[in-house]
Amino acid sequence: MNDVIITAIQQTLIEGNVETAETAARAALEAGVDAQTILNEGLMRGADIVGQQFEAGEVFLPQLMFTARALKAAMAIITPELKRLSAESGISSSKGRVVLATIQSDIHDIGKNIVSTMLTTGGFEVIDLGVDVPIKRIISTALDEGADIIGCSAMLTTSMPFMSDLIKTLEAMGQRERFKVMIGGASVTPAYAERIGADGTAANAVQALQLARQFMQNALA
Amino acid sequence: MDYLEIIDRSDSGEYISEENWDLEKVAMTCMRLVSQYDLKWDRQNLVPDDPALADRVFAAGLALAVEIGAYNRSSERILRFERDELESALRDMKQTLSMGQGADERVLFARQIEDSRPPLVWAGNPGAPHPEALFLPAVVSWAQEPIVDLITCGTLAEVDGREVRTGEALEITATRRELTYLHQALAHVGRPGMGMLAAQSSVSELGDLAAANPDYLRTCDAHLVPMLNELKIDNRNIARAVNSIEYGMRNGGLYCAISGGLGGDAPGCALISVASMILGLLTNRADYHILHPIHIRHVATSTREVLWVESVVLQAFARNAPAIIVTDVYPKSGALTRELLYETAANALAITVSGGHLEGCGSADGLVPHATGLEPRLMGEVGHAACRQGVTRAQANQWILQLMEKYEHVFRMPEGNPGARFDQAYDLETLQPLPEWTRMYEEVKTELKEMGLDLSG
Ligand code: B12
Repeated sequence: MNDVIITAIQQTLIEGNVETAETAARAALEAGVDAQTILNEGLMRGADIVGQQFEAGEVFLPQLMFTARALKAAMAIITPELKRLSAESGISSSKGRVVLATIQSDIHDIGKNIVSTMLTTGGFEVIDLGVDVPIKRIISTALDEGADIIGCSAMLTTSMPFMSDLIKTLEAMGQRERFKVMIGGASVTPAYAERIGADGTAANAVQALQLARQFMQNALA
Repeated sequence: MDYLEIIDRSDSGEYISEENWDLEKVAMTCMRLVSQYDLKWDRQNLVPDDPALADRVFAAGLALAVEIGAYNRSSERILRFERDELESALRDMKQTLSMGQGADERVLFARQIEDSRPPLVWAGNPGAPHPEALFLPAVVSWAQEPIVDLITCGTLAEVDGREVRTGEALEITATRRELTYLHQALAHVGRPGMGMLAAQSSVSELGDLAAANPDYLRTCDAHLVPMLNELKIDNRNIARAVNSIEYGMRNGGLYCAISGGLGGDAPGCALISVASMILGLLTNRADYHILHPIHIRHVATSTREVLWVESVVLQAFARNAPAIIVTDVYPKSGALTRELLYETAANALAITVSGGHLEGCGSADGLVPHATGLEPRLMGEVGHAACRQGVTRAQANQWILQLMEKYEHVFRMPEGNPGARFDQAYDLETLQPLPEWTRMYEEVKTELKEMGLDLSG
């Protein structure tokens, strides 16, 4: 029985349908399926399938975005139950919270948006601040929201220095240790990331998700 | 319709969040129109000889523009246009545009499909960052090529050893210095009046304002006003457009619709490209169009998807609303690789027979200074030969497929195929290609001749 319910949830995410995803999540809760199972086996698995299809070029950006949207909607339904469970067990169900932005002066956002969607479908809570975001705003949002990770995208060589500034500012504020900082964009290399003191970079959205997961695992370990 | 009307509509249009614009408006409408107009592509037919398809692509693109309009990201408002407003913008579209001055003046014109009039050759790697020491020699390397009609350039990522940051003081210095080098290069090759698309180092409005001066960008030159993906504009780019209108310079409307993005596969990208170019006449105040679709993963214009999009969009306009369309050649590979030359030849063939002018090469994805004057030379030679010889779309397609066999593997290379930096491919003293680079060029030319292209002229 649970299998049928779980498969149905996966299917709604593959279709990227907000209404059916909500209905399926609600039905699963009513049928007594554990919220953690709905999340991991249903929602995350479904989203993963679409993420892989996107990476393989089998589906396109809108499908991935619709899936992310359906995931967010279904998450809203199961979150109260997840919170109750984690209060009981003391284990958080959140995969992590990311503040993501295209850095000050840069307006390229295609890649950043894909990373944002991929992190969302990967279960991260993403606060996407958009493009041309001043470093002060990125930092204050990360502090206010209690983010685990700060993600910055820059495509322009002349915008990349602001990512270095961001890290220096975090250091100067004594807040560097609070966040993992990941950076990306077509001109960003691992050597550059290391030079400016970032915690990592990724060449595409799937690797960005892997990196973010790695950060969270290390944090738990 | 003047720019004041665009500003007014930017403030008064219907509000919509950006996410809803992307999904509800762009993605949903594209999905429907692609199926309604039966837009399909064929990976084996990249330069289709199918007038009905070209007409459907145009009709669908116009329908998209009418149905959803454009989005102002700054005000989060939709700019809507009536069908007759768009049609009248199309009717008023420039059919010729003079660039440059004096003996070096060239006139851009609306080309036709399989036009016997050769495309103009606009050389350079727009926007690729350069160390200062390489900038001038690189520009000379293409400005000196007799086949080149117009020039463009990369950006200065540093001046006097200091890194340039967008929106700060050195952006002004970098933009003016870039233009000083361009004028030096043109003087050096004896073609001071050549028209240019420049101020590439200007990322914000600062550089643009600083360059709008006859000693830097002249009124016979152009700069970019990009449309943002997809079908978006913002107030800062409207400001750039207005700056050049007030100054009297030309606006190049730049459209980088993504294949694999919000519109879906290649057909959706074609549809968005057409809509962008129609709307860009009003929102970007475009005097001419720069068509630069990109592939979501590989970026390059030499991918199957983008070759098809460039071809079909050029044909759509040539048949339905003749326009000046400068079409970008951004190969995956960089200098000193044979693949760069194959990619360039394939791209130049597709564009030339479909009705575009040639701009490039943004070698190595335009990310690094790995471009030289040799590949735009080949780009021009292939374009001219195709016209001289009366190459048809079917013939071009067949040759492109043969060329793809020689270069398509670059899209499977994890690090791309960036080749070598300018100074490893050219002699900095003589500003001529090094023997190995010349040899590759000669060999590829021989292969192209064996294939049947008449490069003797
Ligand atoms: C599309 C495009 C545009 C569009 C952008 C539209 C938009 N909404 O984003 C437009 C036309 C507006 C544009 C404008 C400009 N552009 Co532009 N643009 C491009 C182009 C062709 C493709 C970029 C792209 O979207 N690729 C597809 C996406 C999917 O890939 P991606 O961005 O690399 O993202 C992936 C990874 O990098 C990674 N990633 C990305 N972000 C992050 C973040 C994190 C945290 C992580 C972990 C990973 C990660 O994952 C992503 C998904 O796989 C590139 C060429 C290139 N080679 O990249 C030039 C390019 C980036 N542009 C360039 C330039 C110079 C400009 C302009 C300055 C031109 C001008 N003179 O006006 C302006 C800049 C305006 C500004 N203030 O930013 C140069 C930059 C050179 C440099 N290094 O400085 C490039 C390289 C090409 C070129 N030579 O012109 N551009």
